[in-house]
Amino acid sequence: MSPRSDRPPPDINGYPMTRSARNAAIALWLATAGAAWPAAAHHSFAMYDQTRIVTLRGTVKTFQWSNPHALIWVLGSVAPDGAPELWSVELSTSPGNLSRMGWSKHSVEPGDKIAIDLNPLRDGRHGGSLKRATLLATGKVLTTAPVAGQVDAKPDAK
Amino acid sequence: MIALNRTRAAALALGAALTLGWAAGSAQAQTLAVNPAPTAADWSALAKLPDWSGVWIPGQYAPAKSPPSWTPDAAAQVAELQAEEAAGRPRNIYVNCLPEGMPSFVVMNLNTSEILFTPGRVTILNEFDGNRLRRIYTDGRGHPEDPDLTFNGHSIGRWEGDTLVVDTIGIVPQSYLPLGQGVGIPNNGGMHIVERIHLTAPDTLRIDMVVEAPKVLVAPWRISREYKRSRERARDILEASCRQGDFLEDVDAHGNAIFSPIPHDDGGAPLPPDQARK
Repeated sequence: MSPRSDRPPPDINGYPMTRSARNAAIALWLATAGAAWPAAAHHSFAMYDQTRIVTLRGTVKTFQWSNPHALIWVLGSVAPDGAPELWSVELSTSPGNLSRMGWSKHSVEPGDKIAIDLNPLRDGRHGGSLKRATLLATGKVLTTAPVAGQVDAKPDAK
Repeated sequence: MIALNRTRAAALALGAALTLGWAAGSAQAQTLAVNPAPTAADWSALAKLPDWSGVWIPGQYAPAKSPPSWTPDAAAQVAELQAEEAAGRPRNIYVNCLPEGMPSFVVMNLNTSEILFTPGRVTILNEFDGNRLRRIYTDGRGHPEDPDLTFNGHSIGRWEGDTLVVDTIGIVPQSYLPLGQGVGIPNNGGMHIVERIHLTAPDTLRIDMVVEAPKVLVAPWRISREYKRSRERARDILEASCRQGDFLEDVDAHGNAIFSPIPHDDGGAPLPPDQARK
């Protein structure tokens, strides 16, 4: 989702940015986001270690309500007192299915303090697939239900 | 004005010549197929068809329970792909927003579907795969002799009582026989699919599919999918682009709202930019 319009977007460390700093951050993103990565669209979740669950604690940067998978970008850490770093947390499915599971584009908002149980990427990079999220301000718990057709389709099942 | 008139006259002359040439020289002109305007009776006839309205939610797809009978070479490839996926290195079969195609349109569908009846045609709309669709002609036509190959192929249907029998050919050889999003073998050409679509209960639709793919299968693959009907508006089909999730909602130096590519790992997992390289 777009950041709320009534506040400047946070920079990579979570602080409001000046325009020049924001432009520098954007330039960083564009410079690193070249054409070399595979465009996976629908993809297997086998890159995530489904035998492990770690808890990411931090602040929501953006909730990306997109197809075919929604994404939560979080500035946080999986270490108890770790410095906040940017993590991608992928949801198992799309806004259509998530809506049917009770989610909306407002389920998670930028700035929310959050704890997310996730299956981490096997190679240790800062990505995971969401198992369960808790909004710390309210205690509200968010989970996803099994997606149609994937219940038995291991190892895609999640 | 004079120039215009000359141009128009030339166009008329050319048109007349083409018309004469067509009429005189081409027997095809008399058999050129058209889609006739539907009559009131055609529309009324639709009311006699079974009620497939509403939104259909696909049930479990368990290819492991009814796997295809692969050729030895394809079976060896499947074993390798399954091992790669088990090791966390999936070889995704749906990439770059190419249509997922048949038979994935049915067997790998993870979202809801709708089925529309209009005179001479049944249209199946999926939320999955970027809102793609299948057109099934029920006007009695046959397949083209030399169809252009497409992801969902050329489909013709006929009603046998309350069962729609659909015959599909003309599918691109690259379209996969999928066991999952990270395991599949291309059909490699010559695929032929027959579906029998029917209600098995008031709100249960079943597609029984027979997939012939002689390049990679030693016997037809028989696979079925059941769908449950919903009439809740909360389940209405949404717009679903196939790759929006590969992009970040971003802002450029001018303040314009833009999409910026998100780095991914080899398996398709999105990564923060500082994590793009191992």
